[in-house]
Amino acid sequence: MIGTLRRLPGAGAIALAASLLLSSATSLAAQDPASGAATDPLSAALAHEDAGRFAEAAGSYRLLLNAALADGTSADQIALALLGLERVWQQAAMRDSIVPVVQAVLAARPSDPIARSIQFRALSGAARDVDLHAAFMAWRDAAPAEAAPWREYVRTLMAMGRPLAADSVLAQASEALGGRRELASEVAQIAATLERWNDAAHAWRTAVEVMPYLEMAATFSLQRTPEAARDSVRRVLLEQPNALLPRRLLATLETTWGDPRAGWAALASARTNDSTLLAWSEFGERAEATGAWSVARDVWRALFDRVPDAATGRRAAQAALSAGAPAEALELSLRAGELMSPQERAQRLLMVDVEALGALGRAEEAAKRVRDADRYLDDALRADLAKPLVTAWLRAGDVARAREVALQAGALDDDQTIGWLALYDGDLVEARRRLVRAATRDAALTDALAVLARTRVERHTGLGEAVLALARQDTANAVARFAAIADSLDDAAPALLAMSARLATLTGTSADAVRYWKRILSEYASAPEVPEALLEIARALERDGDIAGATARYESLLIDHPGSAMVPQARRELERLRGRIPEAA
Amino acid sequence: MRAFTDTSRTRLAGRAWVRALVAVVLLTTASVARAQSLLVPMDDGQRNHLKAYGLAFQAIKSSQRAEWFLNYRGGSFLLPDAADLRRRAALDGISIEPVSDADVSRIRVEVAGGNMDAVVLERAPRVAIYRPKDQPPWDDAVTLALTYAGIDFESIWDDDILNGDLSKYDWVHLHHEDFTGQFNKLYLAYRDAPWFIAQRQRDEATATRYNLPNVPALKKSVADGIRTFVENGGFLFAMCGATESLDLAISAFAVDITGPFSDGTPVASDADARLDWERSFAFRNAHIEPSPYVNALSDIDGHQVNVPARRQPLGTFTLFDFSAKLDPVATMLVQDHRTVIPDFFGVTTSFNKAVLKPGVTVLASEDGAPWVKYIHGDYGQGSWTFLGGHDPEDPQHAIGSAPTDLSLHPNSPAYRLILNNVLFPAAKKKPRKT
Repeated sequence: MIGTLRRLPGAGAIALAASLLLSSATSLAAQDPASGAATDPLSAALAHEDAGRFAEAAGSYRLLLNAALADGTSADQIALALLGLERVWQQAAMRDSIVPVVQAVLAARPSDPIARSIQFRALSGAARDVDLHAAFMAWRDAAPAEAAPWREYVRTLMAMGRPLAADSVLAQASEALGGRRELASEVAQIAATLERWNDAAHAWRTAVEVMPYLEMAATFSLQRTPEAARDSVRRVLLEQPNALLPRRLLATLETTWGDPRAGWAALASARTNDSTLLAWSEFGERAEATGAWSVARDVWRALFDRVPDAATGRRAAQAALSAGAPAEALELSLRAGELMSPQERAQRLLMVDVEALGALGRAEEAAKRVRDADRYLDDALRADLAKPLVTAWLRAGDVARAREVALQAGALDDDQTIGWLALYDGDLVEARRRLVRAATRDAALTDALAVLARTRVERHTGLGEAVLALARQDTANAVARFAAIADSLDDAAPALLAMSARLATLTGTSADAVRYWKRILSEYASAPEVPEALLEIARALERDGDIAGATARYESLLIDHPGSAMVPQARRELERLRGRIPEAA
Repeated sequence: MRAFTDTSRTRLAGRAWVRALVAVVLLTTASVARAQSLLVPMDDGQRNHLKAYGLAFQAIKSSQRAEWFLNYRGGSFLLPDAADLRRRAALDGISIEPVSDADVSRIRVEVAGGNMDAVVLERAPRVAIYRPKDQPPWDDAVTLALTYAGIDFESIWDDDILNGDLSKYDWVHLHHEDFTGQFNKLYLAYRDAPWFIAQRQRDEATATRYNLPNVPALKKSVADGIRTFVENGGFLFAMCGATESLDLAISAFAVDITGPFSDGTPVASDADARLDWERSFAFRNAHIEPSPYVNALSDIDGHQVNVPARRQPLGTFTLFDFSAKLDPVATMLVQDHRTVIPDFFGVTTSFNKAVLKPGVTVLASEDGAPWVKYIHGDYGQGSWTFLGGHDPEDPQHAIGSAPTDLSLHPNSPAYRLILNNVLFPAAKKKPRKT
């Protein structure tokens, strides 16, 4: 029947199709697909479609369409029926079949946007470019003041991979509609497709100002901007007037490009109002989620300064602590605490305070705060506070108080805590036994186990003191202590000297580091630390401008220790020294 | 008796000691004799393919005998077992296998029996790279490869070519230059960029120095100098935009194919018809792109990466097999441990088959695509090789991107193609049999 229709000329075919559709409404009985009982055509169509009975579903959708067309007022029903027919015929590999049906609908409703968009999709899918253009012209003539025909045609051309053609159509739209503001998103998409990034930024700026829901689309589009063109995008989005949406878009882009601080700078410069503050809050949450703690701290602090709110202040304090700024965390916590009751303060801020005070080595004050707030604490919070308090005492160098807190909190079955305490006491047997079973591993634990594995000595107070100095972040003291005990723990001496050397490098006393590395080379020539010593001495010599000396050490490492894990680093340093790989790398 | 016995014991002990000493000496000699050569495998057993070329180059540069075993274990090298080579291999992380004369004989038998050949590498070629002193913000894959492999080269620029200095070299490489003088049409996007302004001023000053009216005229003169170099027996290797623009500049010697933004005059209306393809290396009957707004020079490139509406996606290209004994040059150029290699974009990424001259040897192409990737040909007494694309290990390389660190790609099969080109002029010439 559709084949017959296709052979008939235009208007006649459409009229006939319409009459056939209408007549078929009476001949097709709408029945429950499962039971055979009569039901409404839409339910039947959906049930058939769900069950994969596409021919039957098409029949039901046509019933629905005919009824809706006869009614003449239910645009929703027409849209449902047309979209349903498009789906099921596509599934049944009969995509073309939708064309005459849509034409029948368009005869009655020439500017129906759903019917037109389906028509565009069908014609573009069938590569009927001439018919597609004719359909666009017909829609444009039917709705000369509307942007919809232009928009749909442009989108179709874009989907067909013809951005230059779409660009031409947009230029015509601009003349026809007296401006392209309504088509800003299409302009932007085409500009981005054609990699005209400056134009794309302008168009997206316009688009998100008119249609804020397009912000995500703008982000996806502009995030492809190559590095060399990003400055122009930044300039456009920061242009006056100072509007929130373009700056929020830039903030997201900067974060996507790997610089959340630049993102915050863009957003922070937006004129402040409620919407801006909400945007700041969302940005702060994203910064937290990505671990950009110093940015998160700045965001929450800025919010807290504008709107002093206890929850925001606590968040700012927590972010400052995570960013490694305990003094700032304390200051923020103090301000936030002023907005809370004593109980609230204990329950929501005490943990931050104890951790911050511990990091600052103020264990006595941390303990006092816990004691003062004791009446507001439950058992669970008390237990949670024990760990930072133990850390605080250790940081302060008071192992006995740390042990006491751990004992009170029932942490003596925790291998890690007890292992570390044993090590600080110089009980190497207990430390070895406990630490090897520790649930979590970090760099400090790995270093400790490496030293413990290199000696059979059972008790060594000096080693405990050295490790404790390190725990107290008294690195200079730790460097000296590790080096000093090397002689008394001969089997672990190269490991201890290497530890001293690494710590000395961290503290910026590279001369000391080189001295320790050289000791390893001269006194422990067969130690496993020798390749690392060669590498570090070479690096030090290079820093001092002794290129020949550095080269000789790198080469010695590569030739004499070809199996060392340091070989890739040494080879890379040598390549760089010889200018054979880019300096930036 | 006792004395006799003691003496006998002493003598016996002495003999035993002498026998042991002789045995040790013999064993030592045997072990020394066993490793008379170093085989540098170039198959998957090699840890650093790119540096291996530098090792072979060092051997021939220091007048040591080197051989290239084409198609044997990925195109491996046979070098003398010299201390300096062993040391360099250890420093550079190059896999080497000490082999005895007997091993070498066995390898030669295997090479003689298959599609393989042994080519003697005679003399280290004198290598020049055409690159400006103030490098633009993109890098050159050949400069990267040679620097990383430790192969010596010199940089030359327009003045050197116009002064006739090309004859000092055996091998010259071109990379990104637009020899039509249109600055790769980057005028559209980068006309205000400081590096672009500096580049333009530099070229205009050079043109003035040589009494040439504009940059296109300057670059055409340079292109003709390169053409003459090849005609007289030089080896030319070009990549990226230099391939297409060089042939366009050479064939457009007498016609204006550049837009007003570069020389102040429009493109000649009959420019296409007046191109002289007799002069070009690789292409014929190509059509120039006259629009200043379309970032392409012609229809030679199949991928057109800088024209978004025409851009074709990247696929993979396949190296062709050649007869090592009958066609050693082409075989040398495709020595690799991979035959299918991921493609990479460049100002010119590929070469449409439709515009290739008859007689051009296609070394690699993409299956089913209308373009090829890697081509070679003879011209006068010399030869040329064109490889499309910019940086094999940065397929989407853009202006401003960080240069590629080849220590992260020591086994790059596509970079090997570049180094094949550097080494093949060192091969002792055999008469070509096809």
